[in-house]
Amino acid sequence: MKEGRRNAIQVCGLKKKYRGFELSVPRLDVPEGFATALIGENGAGKTTLLNILTGIRRDFKGDVTYFGEERKLNAQTQECIGYTGPGCYFLPNWTVDQVEEISSLLFSGFHNDRFRSLCKELGIKRGLVRDVKKLSDGNRMKLMLAAALARDTQLLILDEPASPLDPLMRDKLCDMIREYLERGNGKRSVFFSTHNIADMENVTDYAVILEHGNVVEEGFVEDLKEKYICVKGEAADGERAGEILFSVSKNAYGFEGICLAENLDRLAGMDVAVETPTLSQISVAVMKANTGLKL
Amino acid sequence: MKLLQNSGIPIYQQIAEQLRADILAGKLKEGEYLPSIRGLARDLRISVITTMKAYEQLEAEGLVTAAQGKGFYVNAQDSEMLKEQHLRKVEEALLEAIRAAEIARMTEEELLGTLQALLHMEESRDTGD
Repeated sequence: MKEGRRNAIQVCGLKKKYRGFELSVPRLDVPEGFATALIGENGAGKTTLLNILTGIRRDFKGDVTYFGEERKLNAQTQECIGYTGPGCYFLPNWTVDQVEEISSLLFSGFHNDRFRSLCKELGIKRGLVRDVKKLSDGNRMKLMLAAALARDTQLLILDEPASPLDPLMRDKLCDMIREYLERGNGKRSVFFSTHNIADMENVTDYAVILEHGNVVEEGFVEDLKEKYICVKGEAADGERAGEILFSVSKNAYGFEGICLAENLDRLAGMDVAVETPTLSQISVAVMKANTGLKL
Repeated sequence: MKLLQNSGIPIYQQIAEQLRADILAGKLKEGEYLPSIRGLARDLRISVITTMKAYEQLEAEGLVTAAQGKGFYVNAQDSEMLKEQHLRKVEEALLEAIRAAEIARMTEEELLGTLQALLHMEESRDTGD
């Protein structure tokens, strides 16, 4: 699964300094043909990273190349990348029709018919006098998704696409990502940031966890699920287990935590039960271990 | 295909298990291609890497072969190996029955008697229809 793999994005020696914060990514590969999730605390640097990858931010040190071909970010590359973000890049007084008109002028690979059917599918009411500024957060996100998916692209970079959406639409978003990947037949990739790990777990192939501007864990989800293990045990062993476990929560009845699978034999002699962790459990454990916050 | 999210059995194993059963039962024939990895992921509403892992497991077991750029096709199933696989299943099921019988403190005669009774029941059902 890893041999002969191409990268949709390759980051080398990336550095971006703000006052009191530095994003530093010596190396990051976003695999081609998969959906990759970018996970991390508020302020970990997710949006900064995604903005650099999409070209919204250009003041940084380091190299970013695309599609495994040493391609830099230029007009031709950007034609292959679709983006949605927390803000809104449509002007506030545009109507849905104008979004369509201007998108088709801006991008050669924009399909008007596909945009219309996506609007219908997502329940975006056209025709009604609706300025983009009057749309709710959720509807604005749906409109951006429709505009991005109506284009012929090879890579989608989505900054928090799930946050403003309701549960039904998040489900739909997952379906749309899977369908996007399927149509690409291994050539299309999606890189999205999210706090809604549980909702997005069934569409996540590769996970990147970012803390304080550093990548603290990354890997294919199925591999991470073998690397970490979820352990549950009796209260009496809580103290001792706490020293071995990665992150642990204790109460009067027992403890529960995540540990590296390779350290499991150090729990020998304790009365514990183990199970495969979910991506959310792994993420929370890794974040807890790296956070500066006292929880 | 039925996948259970909370059964404790990893999803990729559930997929591999069901495809394996289809291959051994001859429902998926020699040379036939498995559904595409991303197509199956879309249909089952799971991640691509999960279906990929299921296919890789079947490949490791020698049931399918990966063809570069074309997907996975079903290998010729050696009839000896097939028989072996089924035999293993029978042994596993019988072992489980033996353990249950121990808990219920059944004697050897009772256990064999039950097996024979069940065999007769199956036989009469088979000839019945």
